[in-house]
Amino acid sequence: MIARLSEEYRVFGPVSRRSDASFQEITNGEELYLDYKTTTLPPKKFFHKTETIVQYEADKGFSAPELEVDKPCLLFGVHPCDLNAILRMDKFFSREYTDSYYTKRRQNTAIIALNCIEPGENCFCASLGTGPSIDEGFDLLLTDVGDSYLVEAGTRRGEAMAEKLELHDASKGQLEEKARRLKVASEKFVKSIKMEGLAELAAQNLTHEVWSLIGEKGGLAGCFACLSCANCSLVCPTCYCYEVIDTPDVSLKRGVRMREVDSCQLLEYSLVALGHNFRSDRKDRTRNWMMCKFGGAGGQQETSCVGCGRCIKACPAHIDLTEVAQSLWGE
Amino acid sequence: MPRRAVIRDIEEETYDTKTYTFEFADRGPKGMDFIPGQFVMLSILGYGEAAISIAQDPDDKSGLDLTIRNVGSVTGALSSMRVGDHVGIRGPYGNGWPMEEARGKNLLLISGGCGCGTLRPIILAHRNDQSRFKYVEILYGARTPGDIIYRKYYEEDWAKIPNCNILLSSDTVPPGQIWRYKVGFVLTMLGDMKSSPEDTLVFMCGPEVMMKFTVLDMLKMGFSGEQIYCSMERRMRCGVGLCGHCQLGPKYVCKDGPAFSYAELQGLPDHIIRR
Repeated sequence: MIARLSEEYRVFGPVSRRSDASFQEITNGEELYLDYKTTTLPPKKFFHKTETIVQYEADKGFSAPELEVDKPCLLFGVHPCDLNAILRMDKFFSREYTDSYYTKRRQNTAIIALNCIEPGENCFCASLGTGPSIDEGFDLLLTDVGDSYLVEAGTRRGEAMAEKLELHDASKGQLEEKARRLKVASEKFVKSIKMEGLAELAAQNLTHEVWSLIGEKGGLAGCFACLSCANCSLVCPTCYCYEVIDTPDVSLKRGVRMREVDSCQLLEYSLVALGHNFRSDRKDRTRNWMMCKFGGAGGQQETSCVGCGRCIKACPAHIDLTEVAQSLWGE
Repeated sequence: MPRRAVIRDIEEETYDTKTYTFEFADRGPKGMDFIPGQFVMLSILGYGEAAISIAQDPDDKSGLDLTIRNVGSVTGALSSMRVGDHVGIRGPYGNGWPMEEARGKNLLLISGGCGCGTLRPIILAHRNDQSRFKYVEILYGARTPGDIIYRKYYEEDWAKIPNCNILLSSDTVPPGQIWRYKVGFVLTMLGDMKSSPEDTLVFMCGPEVMMKFTVLDMLKMGFSGEQIYCSMERRMRCGVGLCGHCQLGPKYVCKDGPAFSYAELQGLPDHIIRR
């Protein structure tokens, strides 16, 4: 299957990497690790990456480098939480101003999604409606039904892919097995979050004790104080912030302006001239991040949490977003 | 994409602040259309970009005045540039002051430090045509007399504008400096001003701590949170609500601001302009 798809696409799929999984370019199906729970980095790494946004020359001025996209890409085995995150980022990056870099890469990419039948210990997508299954946004959708994968097309491009793959018709039993497995999966989640009204609740509780617990003192469900390492932003599939950096070449006559992903957890993020910092306290920064993931920041729903659980796994201080929500709800 | 612009003129305001007149050096118009209160992103090759308020006369499209204090890497690089040197400018960005609402009303313009730049377009608009606003009162203060920006205009040209009153203050007066105006913070001028809450809009720009205490005193005087607008400063990278840096809760200062009413600010985190 991968060989067939590779004729037309550069294929990227989950492969096993040390103790985790990672989306990497693959050329044959044996490399795939489809039983993965979650990858270290979300698929956003393919769309929102370090890039040159402006080139300049001292005597000519500024020009925008044309983003070159080559062969179409295919993301294989994307879980519903990550696909929902991509769909939200698609909206975010085409609100009032369209981000041409993100959009161009995204339009050059097909997606084969993979329903989750074995959620990870940190996952809570079921409580957000962003998993463990999905019914939009993919070209093809796979579900492990035991002896085989059920394949469903979501777009014409997906139908064209399916035609090339010489598939058998699914039996009624296999369709029932899909429903059964997804139902079992949805009952396996350990964590959950009550998101409806949470952004408003957090906005009304800007001085709630939970912010100093996670930002200064530690102690929320056994967590330590935030270390401002920004792991959470790095692994979050909907964190979008970026920093812009000028890099002149040695002649000082020309150079490039680059952008790269940034995090509101870093001290410099809100620093302005004369050293004033509008979020110098860790509790303000962690609150800002949490508010964003609750849908109450500038990105609103488009950059809110999809329940992938990566931030919980990646946090060296064991800060857990679902515990923060519970604390705000008074539970 | 920044447009290439050339420095046409430089006027020294204080030891660390200059007003630069730029002119776009590409095929487009030499100036730009903007709403007072909006800002541009100023690029210096190799140093980066900084958000700068537009100080230009809105009736004059022949260039773009920006009053800039040397405080960071971009503004520091600019301070060593000369007439004829090139920069990049893109914009304008932001909502600007509520100018439609201000039409025909009394305006009270309060600023501190280099916050006066964003109010200059309004002062110049009123100078050009007094039918726009009923009355304009300006309260401006800085740390020392040597930090007062636009001083000669406040004392000469602008002092002659009809239906306009100017009050100045200095936080302190170091030995050897002469100062014949108020000594004290900006809010100490509130007792001397002619403005009342009636049919008045207040536009304010300066350090957050100055705006905070000035607003709180004004609320006691009967001004409402809806008639006081504050211009917020934040780190900005994109200017269009994509890079995230300038967020105040659900709002982006670059897109939804920089001018926010006091009432609106009450629902937003990460600033100090509240009780």
